[in-house]
Amino acid sequence: MRLKVNGQEREAQEGTLLLDLVEVPTLCHHPHTETKGLCRLCLVEVGGRLVPACATEAQEGMEVRTDTEGLRALRRTLLEWLALATDLSQAPSLLELLEAHQGQPQRWGGLGLTRKEREPIRDNPFFLRDYAKCVNCRRCVDACGDGIMGVYALTLEDRGLLAHPTTPLDRPLPETPCVFCGNCIQVCPTGALRPLSMEV
Amino acid sequence: MEKPSLLPLLDARLPLNEEKVAEAARLAGVPLAQAWGVVRYYPRYRGLPQGRLLVDDPVARARGFARLLEEADGTHPPLGLEALSPVYVRLEGGERHVEHGGSLVPFHRFRLPFSLGHGERLLPPEPILDLEAYQRMGGLAGLEGLLKGRLSPDGLIQAVEEAGLLGRGGAAFPTHIKMRAVAQGEPPRYLVVNADESEPGNFKDRFLLEHHPFLVLEGALLAALAIGASRIFLYVRDEFEAAMRGLEKAIAELEEAGRLPVPTEVFRSGGLYICGEETALLESMEGKRAEPRLKPPFPVEKGLWGRPTLVQNVETLASLPLLLREGPGAWRAREPKLFSISGDVERPGLYELPLGTPLEDALRKAGGEPGELRAVLLGGAAGVFTRDLSFPLRYRDRLPLGAGAIVAFGKGVDLWEVLLGLTEFFREESCGKCFPCPLGTAVQVEMVRRRERDRSLVQHLGQTLRGSLCGLGQSAYWAYQSLLEVEGAA
Repeated sequence: MRLKVNGQEREAQEGTLLLDLVEVPTLCHHPHTETKGLCRLCLVEVGGRLVPACATEAQEGMEVRTDTEGLRALRRTLLEWLALATDLSQAPSLLELLEAHQGQPQRWGGLGLTRKEREPIRDNPFFLRDYAKCVNCRRCVDACGDGIMGVYALTLEDRGLLAHPTTPLDRPLPETPCVFCGNCIQVCPTGALRPLSMEV
Repeated sequence: MEKPSLLPLLDARLPLNEEKVAEAARLAGVPLAQAWGVVRYYPRYRGLPQGRLLVDDPVARARGFARLLEEADGTHPPLGLEALSPVYVRLEGGERHVEHGGSLVPFHRFRLPFSLGHGERLLPPEPILDLEAYQRMGGLAGLEGLLKGRLSPDGLIQAVEEAGLLGRGGAAFPTHIKMRAVAQGEPPRYLVVNADESEPGNFKDRFLLEHHPFLVLEGALLAALAIGASRIFLYVRDEFEAAMRGLEKAIAELEEAGRLPVPTEVFRSGGLYICGEETALLESMEGKRAEPRLKPPFPVEKGLWGRPTLVQNVETLASLPLLLREGPGAWRAREPKLFSISGDVERPGLYELPLGTPLEDALRKAGGEPGELRAVLLGGAAGVFTRDLSFPLRYRDRLPLGAGAIVAFGKGVDLWEVLLGLTEFFREESCGKCFPCPLGTAVQVEMVRRRERDRSLVQHLGQTLRGSLCGLGQSAYWAYQSLLEVEGAA
């Protein structure tokens, strides 16, 4: 089938994810988890509507735009807000993206409340849970639950900007069903979950 | 329900402790992780603020909010009490009271004063709380017609299409399209009545539920029969306790009279603004955190428990019996819509007006003096400030109508104070599932606090919030942007 991306004719297999056809940043999407369409960094315009490229299949005759002024502003702003609210020091790829989009987080002034004030949780011999660095993409929660393991040692706490992963009843990890398989660390994109062996 | 739903199981165990949460999870057949995520999401499981609380609505914000707050221990989200605002409520332990007319009225007895309603077709001439009174005024005629075969299910959908009925919950989607889509789905199909009215400035559904439960139920039964639904759920806002009791009583009466062709039950909502977003609503009914789903698939295709589901607003359904009685053409000629009018008008209340009524006429009906107003907030928090008083109140025109909230502000009101209230509301109510909304609503509060007018910042804020997953984030900046336009025009 054929579709247009930024005015260019393209050939693609029916059912291909737009994400595999276009060059857009992505953060929450991961091939092994069910998380998608949450970070909105991969939004593209199809017929004037904003749709997530990670959750939209290519269709015959689609006209996709990835480079409108609005989309560029959206990606730049989102990255700035993430930097404003979160400690991205362990997420070099996000910092690179921020730079590539000429991001200036300080143009927004301050935020009353950020994630940066959270203390790291050291409750097991294997890895840290450092939610000051968490963007709440939910990959770890999904990997632990429906997506990969089916263990359900992680869930979500709170709502809005304060929402972040936690354990059932907020127990230390060794007191949960966690089997220390490491899948959550594998899928964490920001260094919020870090093996202790990496700590200096 | 396919399996026992987690929320009612938790509700039955309030106040909660760890053992009770684990027990509810076991009975619902869900992982403890899911139950804990739910407990840490909904206010009534996390613990509600206690004491004397000021109901924080746009009218209270316009009436010397800081001073009103001095008399309170905290705030409570809007309750559809704007026509009486400012109002204080008292929360003590599990007890909830409204301070009204110099006394404390428990939530389960408090109804909006009936004198607030002004209308003749959609609004009852008197509160109709028993079946006999409802039938005396010609109620159940539509239902009888459908049950006796005088009207076919498809004939009903046809009538809705001819009438051109658009959803009254705010999105203004053509009702017949949704009905037809569900009717074509594989059974079992469900009907969910969205009675989770939480938009600041709106109290039309609350009024209908409290004073006219049979009209709402007849509308729901008509829709259910039209789409071949096997069950009806009324998802009612947690704070509307009197309405919930009234509905349960009305359902029992209908059943006793043999006039309940579809099993119908009341479901207590999760108690958050986002619960009114149709897919978040379904998630909460399924015992999860009320977070919007990615669409497609739409609820008409995969709704409650993955079944074809019609989710429809209270006023939309209440319009069905009237539409059948008058006939689609006659109904359409003077299409009735309920407008909740509050703020700086002499007679705040609920007004039934034909769609297309100019905004200034609506204001005058309520005793407002258009010349004395600084601006009007149209459509609630997810609405716009406007001075365009010639605007004909109808859907898909130059301004969003939302669910029909109109809040008037006189010349002495600082609109930035009102706006700050709206932005704080959005920040508090953002669910946090997608990225733009929780971040953007938090940034927006700071911008409004410092009265930021930088064009490019405000534009980027809007362009980014527009990319949110659901309508909450997508409309969270409208009021801000519109206030700057009003300022520019003033």
